[in-house]
Amino acid sequence: MSANQSNGSIKFKVFRFDPDKDQQPYYDTFELESRPGMTVLEGLFDILERQDGSLAFRYSCREAICGSCALYINGAYRLACQTQVSHIDSDEVVVNPLPALQPVKDLVVDMTPFFEAYHAVDPYLQPAEDLKHVEEGKEYYQNPKDRKKLDMPVDCILCGSCYSSCPTTWTHEDYLGPAALLKAYRFVADSRDDATADRLSTVSTESGIWRCHTAYNCVEACPKDLNPTFGIQQLKKQTVGKLLLGRK
Amino acid sequence: MYRPNNMEVFKNTPAWATNWRTGMWAYVFHRISGYALVFYIFLHISIIATSAIMGPETFDAVMEYLHSPLFLILDILLVAAVVYHGLNGIRLILFDFGIGIYHQKQLFWAAIILTVIAVVAAFVLVSPAIFGH
Repeated sequence: MSANQSNGSIKFKVFRFDPDKDQQPYYDTFELESRPGMTVLEGLFDILERQDGSLAFRYSCREAICGSCALYINGAYRLACQTQVSHIDSDEVVVNPLPALQPVKDLVVDMTPFFEAYHAVDPYLQPAEDLKHVEEGKEYYQNPKDRKKLDMPVDCILCGSCYSSCPTTWTHEDYLGPAALLKAYRFVADSRDDATADRLSTVSTESGIWRCHTAYNCVEACPKDLNPTFGIQQLKKQTVGKLLLGRK
Repeated sequence: MYRPNNMEVFKNTPAWATNWRTGMWAYVFHRISGYALVFYIFLHISIIATSAIMGPETFDAVMEYLHSPLFLILDILLVAAVVYHGLNGIRLILFDFGIGIYHQKQLFWAAIILTVIAVVAAFVLVSPAIFGH
């Protein structure tokens, strides 16, 4: 176990890169006081407030809901806000931005390709005809059994960890990626959604579900323990069912 | 829309490939063994065919040469590649049928254990020929 359990000092080794000044990225090491329950995000704030005001990183909710602070910490994809320093089995906290995405500054990466893919799958409910009579602002009802199917995919917080970890996105820049495909599955599986045929034709391409090589990096990376591979497999199954058996 | 190119990305993110877990190894081994087998099959066909065309004496000489310990050891590696690639291929087909997605690690280790058994069996069968020389 590391020595970071109680009050004491802890080293943060942080990835730094300023495109205006630096030719190459480098690491800065900061020594700061740790306290019980301290998270990596709190450590970054400590550095920002007391040692280096130029450090850039993203955060918002600080409670693992917004997905802004996904970082690559000590060799694993983690949300900085829910990772306690004492749970890192090392004397040094090594903080990297999400790998394979272009760093904008320090720990901030350009999420454009991730959100482009996300928007490409129309990530919103397109209600069935018989639900259209529902008054605006009112709920679309759904029975608990149908809702249960959505339990896994709705928990996605769009942090980008899966996208960053996927070997296919590293090499194939048009690939939609695990998050967008899981989102497509979330609406295909939704009993209230009526755009299944359109959604399947969007994802059933060379850059969609068929480009997944089932390396399971997305499942390993997901800080919410979701399984995008399962969603992608379900989309494959539905697509094949539609083509071969004429199933809707 | 601006898109960073891949080389730029890799250059700026030194940690990109270090979180390799089970599924990634399965994928990489599958790729490597796949390329190796494609390379092998062309080599195999071209050598056998060329030596056969050149007459019985050449063919016998080539066969003699291919029975040297070096090539017998390569044969054991060939068994490893074929068995692993085949078994992992079955693992991937099972995923496509929706079987074992939540048990992919166990399936990978099953494939590895069976590959090791096949390699040990191949070694036991081939070793007299290797050490007999």
